[in-house]
Amino acid sequence: MFASIATVMVASMALVGCSSGSTTAGGKPDTSLTVGLLATPGNLDYTTTAGAAIPQALLYNVYEGLVKLDNDGTIIPLLAESWTVSDDGLVYDFLLHDGVTFSDGSPFTAESVKFSLERVKDNWTANGPAYLDPIASIEAVSDTEARITLSKPSNSWLFNMSGPVGTMFTESGLADLATAPVGTGPYTVSSFKSGDSLVLAANADYWGEAPYMTGVTLRYFTDATAQTNALLSGDINLISGISQFQLVDQFKSNPDFQVLEGASTGEVTLSMNNASDAFSDVRVRQAVMYAIDRQAVMDTANSGFGLLIGSMVPPTDPWYDESLADLYPYDPDQATDLLAEAGVSDLTVAFKIPNLPYAVAGAQVVKDQLAKVGITANVTALEFPAVWLDEVFSKHDYDMSLIMHSEPRDVTAFAAPTYYAGYDSPAVMAKFAEADGADATSYIELMKEATTTMAEEAAADWLYLQPAIALADADLLGVPKNTPSLALDLSTIAR
Amino acid sequence: MVLVVLRRLGVFATTVVVASVVTFLMLSILPGNAARIALGVQASEADVAAQATAMGLDRPAIVRYLDWFGNVLIGDFGTSTVSRQAIGPEITDALGITVILVLTSVVLALLFAIPFGILTAVRQRKPDGAILSGISQIGVAVPGFLAGMLLVTIFAVTLRWLPAGGWVDPGEDFGGFIEHLILPAIALGSVQGAVLSRYVRSSVLEVMREDFIRTARAKGLGAGRALFRHGLRNAAVPVMTVLGLQIATLLVGAVVIERVFSIPGLGSLLLDKVALRDLPAVQGIVLVLVVFVLALNFLVDLAFTLIDPRLRSAT
Repeated sequence: MFASIATVMVASMALVGCSSGSTTAGGKPDTSLTVGLLATPGNLDYTTTAGAAIPQALLYNVYEGLVKLDNDGTIIPLLAESWTVSDDGLVYDFLLHDGVTFSDGSPFTAESVKFSLERVKDNWTANGPAYLDPIASIEAVSDTEARITLSKPSNSWLFNMSGPVGTMFTESGLADLATAPVGTGPYTVSSFKSGDSLVLAANADYWGEAPYMTGVTLRYFTDATAQTNALLSGDINLISGISQFQLVDQFKSNPDFQVLEGASTGEVTLSMNNASDAFSDVRVRQAVMYAIDRQAVMDTANSGFGLLIGSMVPPTDPWYDESLADLYPYDPDQATDLLAEAGVSDLTVAFKIPNLPYAVAGAQVVKDQLAKVGITANVTALEFPAVWLDEVFSKHDYDMSLIMHSEPRDVTAFAAPTYYAGYDSPAVMAKFAEADGADATSYIELMKEATTTMAEEAAADWLYLQPAIALADADLLGVPKNTPSLALDLSTIAR
Repeated sequence: MVLVVLRRLGVFATTVVVASVVTFLMLSILPGNAARIALGVQASEADVAAQATAMGLDRPAIVRYLDWFGNVLIGDFGTSTVSRQAIGPEITDALGITVILVLTSVVLALLFAIPFGILTAVRQRKPDGAILSGISQIGVAVPGFLAGMLLVTIFAVTLRWLPAGGWVDPGEDFGGFIEHLILPAIALGSVQGAVLSRYVRSSVLEVMREDFIRTARAKGLGAGRALFRHGLRNAAVPVMTVLGLQIATLLVGAVVIERVFSIPGLGSLLLDKVALRDLPAVQGIVLVLVVFVLALNFLVDLAFTLIDPRLRSAT
């Protein structure tokens, strides 16, 4: 919608040479945008490199799939004009947009769909190639009709198709995925320098509505203060996903800027190693739930920003249940009773956290609160990502940790017995499997049941949901508020 | 003279080899798995193991070392496991930025230190001399990153005269390049300028007590002319020694300043690569830094002999 208003504005300004709003010296509307981000991509190939940084920059901007997630988390058409699903939930018929080309000029057809999705299984090593496992076969019925047949009904695969694994590639554009991506999106990559910047230019041959911003520079910072200083000094126009919330207040009272607060998919999680001696007893985990004042942790670690969730489900997922936030109210006496019941006294746990600001701040509060119920937590801050991934995530050598899980719908991964949380509930896994194959209504119900069980069994203490806070120049319009997917969708931003 | 240079080159080469072994060993005991970092939390342990093999991480340490250093000797730093680009050009690009930053800050430091140091020496017994001396003492005490943050708060955030950070290539936009260079160069150079001015001051004071200055004065030269004609050249030798040492310090200081100002120099590159366990790149960067510092010391030694003829006969 913003793009269409913007297009009209551009047209009228060109006609009358009017210079209202934010314009450059020449009287033309300023269609350049500089965005400040924190995590830099090491390269631009998300087929073999993990991390949120690459899809944040490229997904929906340079690369597109058949479907995308809108800002409310709803699956909407992108390269597919529409689709139908057979009654048994196995056959998806996608009608594709006609006349779409990749930025290297090659055409996008049903063959591209077949090529791209078949390539995932053998060539992708990162970003969840297993998400496409439900696909049995892909058929190019005609240039604009693609038929995808699943081996079993799956509610999650279409959602996952909105993420990186659903990206459409052309065979001629694979030569240098690390630095020169070729997609069908509204932008192309002009230059990329890891650790510094990624410059995008509007794709002149874009099949859809042209974006308002013709040139976008993504600038990468390593320091959150440097990032906000750059906004204050006018070097950049937008910060998406601020991570140090004490920096936000100075913008709230400043009329030159706007502060947008939305929902993310980042659950800040106090994880307990369910397979460890310390936490294998559900009563001990529940004691921790009662011992922690989540509001206090959020106030300290996040300057009060965030949402108490009580489960691993953000409000943008249809099976969100807000009542779970009150499942374990702060009650140290209850915690002490549960510990006594479990026959645990003088419990000492290895509390290994990543050396990230929110974790370091939060862990201190958690440690103090645990001490009040007689649990000694020895806090060690491990270098993130390298050492934390190795010690906690891969080797499971920990009792307790504190980390944000930022992937959308990552609760099913969290429940897997091999995952670092060590939560082992065949009943929950069975329910997730049943949910994936169920009809739309039962899907939501079953997901709700499984995630509620996880919360009741205290698989982890989901402390709070990280807010998605964007800081922007006051004249920017259409800045995405929520971050339901990994992508930072630039196409809606205008002035 | 030639023998001295050859001997120094021998020491130089040995140091580089030793440094390469030490760097390699230290990085190989660094915890963390580059393959896991590359594939992230969604990948299975089996995928990670396969990736480690593909990255050559499961080969014996001695094979990895010889493979790496052998290639470095023929000028090939290998390919980054993260960016998948040749490491050599990544390093030279970043080194170029750091060298520009360090040299500019050295020039700024000298522009400040020489007049300021002479002034404080000449006005030593006057009240204003004591005040100036106090100012330089404060300058020594303020760390570069703090100076950087103060400069950003004043000139970028409040006054909006200069950008708060970032880097523009001089070939791309020279005005922008200068704008982006000013604050970090001042931040990096300020401490060095203050330190140097202390050395200039004491060095000038010492020289002024020398016999040849008294002789020059006796010939009828004024205090100023005697200092400028005969004193400064002599006072420069100890200052140059300190400057040579300081350039190495500045390279390290640049790591912090590059962070504060988001400048993609060698320090930023090094920290990014360490975080991602891009070991071939880290090894390459550290080796380049070692060679760079050694080469600087070597050049400073040579420069002495040019400034001070007395040292030529001594060696």
